[in-house]
This record gives sequence, structure tokens and C-alpha cells, in this order.
Amino acid sequence: MRSPRRPTGPVPGRHVLVTVLGLLTAALPAGAAAQQPEPPPAVHYPSLHISGFGDVNFSGVNRADGPRNFSLGQFVIHMASELSPRVTFFGEVSFTARSDAGTGSPSATGFNAEVERMAIRFEDSDRLKVSFGRYHTPINYWNTAFHHGQWLQTTIARPEMIKFGGQFLPVHFVGGLVEGSAPANGLNVNYKLGVGNGRATVIGRAGDAGDSNDSLAWLANVFVRPDAVFGLEAGGSLYGDTVRLASGREIDEQVVAAHAVWNREDPELIAEVASVRHRDTLTGQVTWSHGYYVQAAYRLGEPWAQWKPYARFEHLGVAAGDLAFASLPDLDQATFGVRYDATLFAAVKGEYRTWTRGSGSDRRHGGFVQIAFTF
Amino acid sequence: MRAPNLFRIVCAAALALLAAVAGSATARAQAAGDIAVIVHPDVTIENLTLADLRRVWLGDREFWSSGERITLLIRAPVARERDLVVSTLCRMTEAQFRQHWIAKVFRNESPTGPKIAYSEDSALDQVSRLPGAITLVAASAVTDGVKVVRIDGLLPGDPGYPLR
Repeated sequence: MRSPRRPTGPVPGRHVLVTVLGLLTAALPAGAAAQQPEPPPAVHYPSLHISGFGDVNFSGVNRADGPRNFSLGQFVIHMASELSPRVTFFGEVSFTARSDAGTGSPSATGFNAEVERMAIRFEDSDRLKVSFGRYHTPINYWNTAFHHGQWLQTTIARPEMIKFGGQFLPVHFVGGLVEGSAPANGLNVNYKLGVGNGRATVIGRAGDAGDSNDSLAWLANVFVRPDAVFGLEAGGSLYGDTVRLASGREIDEQVVAAHAVWNREDPELIAEVASVRHRDTLTGQVTWSHGYYVQAAYRLGEPWAQWKPYARFEHLGVAAGDLAFASLPDLDQATFGVRYDATLFAAVKGEYRTWTRGSGSDRRHGGFVQIAFTF
Repeated sequence: MRAPNLFRIVCAAALALLAAVAGSATARAQAAGDIAVIVHPDVTIENLTLADLRRVWLGDREFWSSGERITLLIRAPVARERDLVVSTLCRMTEAQFRQHWIAKVFRNESPTGPKIAYSEDSALDQVSRLPGAITLVAASAVTDGVKVVRIDGLLPGDPGYPLR
């Protein structure tokens, strides 16, 4: 018996089958057609990541100057989300205990909720990123390195020149920022240029709901991180604005600032200086106020690597007759302490501070303990 | 007269073959201990300097020159490849490296930290799938589907290759 010959000519309907199969194959992703698992997308948009910081404090001072005994520090939540490969959102909200809780009518709440930072950023490349929102003003290293994360900073308190609610430098800034970086033959130059609302009439606050006058604040910040001296960062900033005070008087303000940081743990060195020029637009009187601090810390070697002793010296010198800083006293302060990293994400800090606030004032002393953590 | 010449030629060829085999074995032995820097095949970069690589792993460089966002993939702690990134490239301890990335995200300098790969196979697999991805794996484990990048002009196995 001969097996039946396979037909060699065109088979009716065969071309239809091929066409259908071809269309089906084309409709499937190439990977699926090749029997391979489909690659997962790199990121699902929007991709929201939430984390936070908190701290609990204890203080004992010889004279009241801030909270006594136990106090809650800030409870900070931050949210980072990628909206697309080139668009990101960042938000930071803090809850701070109020010393006037329960007073007034309606009675004050126990905690202040504050939008500390909120920005949407469009990223073209490493050289060019544009964002809009509320920032920590990038004219001061500490302000943009540690933000509200007490766990991130070595010491318990921020330097006086940039403390939250302080007046010396504008801590927050509402507006737009252009930033970027370039290798620049190993110099690694970074820049930030911004325009925004600047200070509100209460000069410790930013103009969140709008500017207090028609004048926009501007800032420029440049710093380098050279490859050849790994760990070093050095830079400077300029800031300008016209500030309307609560009294209605207007002050032209310019800030010149510089910093140098040895950003290693053994040692960690941070030095910053800032000078604030104020010109009364009514009288033309010009004043200069100056502030600086120097901080040194050293992470001990094994088996004591969890310990990091530190010291900081700082000074604020406010010019007499400065209208904007009328309620801001001079300050000289020394801080000595040690940080103990109990785990990777929690630290205990203990420090002694001694300071004078205002010329001729009594010297004060205090002991402080803080437990700071991230989660 | 012809026989000695032929003998010399055969001997020379044998020696050359031996030298080539020995050289290849040495290169293989070197490559076996080397760590390769691999990227997604669509990444157009061919060479990185050590300083470039450090900038990438510190998050100071977030985009390839083609404009694609860099996705960092790092092995979980204890892996040799992670140790190389943390200690040799970034010159940090494990704790400092983690703190650096928490701070980086907290400062809004980067939307996210490096993704974790829990095995060599996973690292290779993810780099082959994620556009813009980069990681470090043992040179001996490199497979098709990923691209090996030269470091300071050198490939794993080359004398003077810096990542081993």
C-alpha cells in the first residue's frame, strides 16, 4: 500500500489560515508570540512611597528658654511619587506640638499641621530640572541637607541661623526652581536658580497664600563636589527680595552665604556663614547682620562605631537698628554632645549647651536628650 | 632541508597555540574573579569612568546620555557585588550607604532609591528587562540579553580592570 501523496499544490483555505495566524501573531506582543513572559513595567505610575521621621525630647535648663522636661518633636510624613519617567512629586507634612494647646476660642489644637514642602518637578536631564512649589530655601546647606529629619542630622537642634520659625534666614520659599548638575571635569558643579514669594509680613514665614508685595524674591546657589577630594562640598548663595513688614514698612533684603562641608563620618565638618543686608526703603538706612557656625563630629572606629561625639560653635550678630530683626537677639552658643546609633534607623543623642542670648544677658546652660528615628 | 624547516614551523605553531591557550586561561581566570558592570541592552553607553560609576551609584547622575532615566539595581547585603558598590565605589559603610539614600529621597534629589536584586539570576533578569537598568554581577555569570560596559576602557579579564 502506498501512502497517499501529500498535496503539493495550493490547498483551499490555507492562505486564509496563514493570514489569520499572522494577524493573531501581530496582535500579540512580540515576547508573548515567542512564548516568553512579558517584561514587567519598571515603575507603575503614579508610584507613591511614604516614609517619615519622628523624635522625642527631654530637656533640663537652668532658666526657661524653650520646652522643659519631655516634649514631642516633629512628626514628619513625606511622600515621593513618580508621575511619569520625567515628572515627580514630593510632599512633606509635619505635626508640631503647640505650647498654647487648649487656649483661645476656638481652643488651639494640640498640634500644628504644616505643609513643609510640596513640589512637582519636571526633569529633562541631569543638567536641567524645573520645579514649582514650596521648598526649604536652598541658600543654606543645613536647610536643604537635613530638612525636618532630626535623625539625619548629627546634633539635636538646628543652628540658630536656620532654625524653624526663626527670622535670620528665610527657611521656606514658594515659587519655581531651575536646577541641575554637570560633571565639569570632575568638579561636579551643581546649581539652583529660583524666583518666588520670599518672606511674608511675619518674616519667619513664607508667602504661602501669595506675596506680601509686588516684588519677587530670587535666589542663586552654586556648589561643587570635586571627585579629587571625595567628601568635600563647597558653595555659595545669593538671595534678594523686598520684604513688607507687618508695620507696612518695606525693607530691601540681600543675603550672601557660603558653606564648606567635609561630608564623611570620620570626621564630619560643616561650616556656614551668612550675611544679611537690610535697607530701609523709607530712610535708606543700611544694616548688615552676620551669622556663622562650625560643627565637627567624628564617628569612632570599631567596636565603638555606633558612637559619634560632636561639638558646634555658633554666633548670630544682629545689627542695631535693623527694623526686620528688631526682636532677634544676638546669640553665642556652644554645643557638646554624642550620638549613639542604636539601630540603623534610630539614634539617641545627648548634648550639653551653653549660650547667651542678647548682649549683657546671663549665661544659660542646658542638658538635652533626643531619640530620633525614621520609619 | 625541508624536514627541519617543517619541524620548526610545527614547533612554532604548537608553541603559539600553547601560549594562546595559556593566555586565554589566564584571562578567564582573571575574568572569573572580576565583577562586570552590566546595563540594559538598549543603553547606548559603551564606557564609564570609575568617577562616572560612582556618580551613578551615589544618585548624582540620574540619566544616561541618551536621556533615559537610570534604574539602579543592587544586590542585597552580604553579596560581594553590593560590597563593591558600597565600599569601593561609594567609600561608605553599609549604614552610611542606606542613610545616604534615605537622605537623597528625603531631600527630593531622587524619586526612589536603588531596587534590590536578591540573586544573581534576578539581577541579570531584571537588567535585561528594565529599560535604563544597571547593576554589577560576577563576570563569569554574564549572559546574553545584557550589555557589559567598559570601565576606564577595560573589560572584565583585561589586565588592570578595576572591579574585582
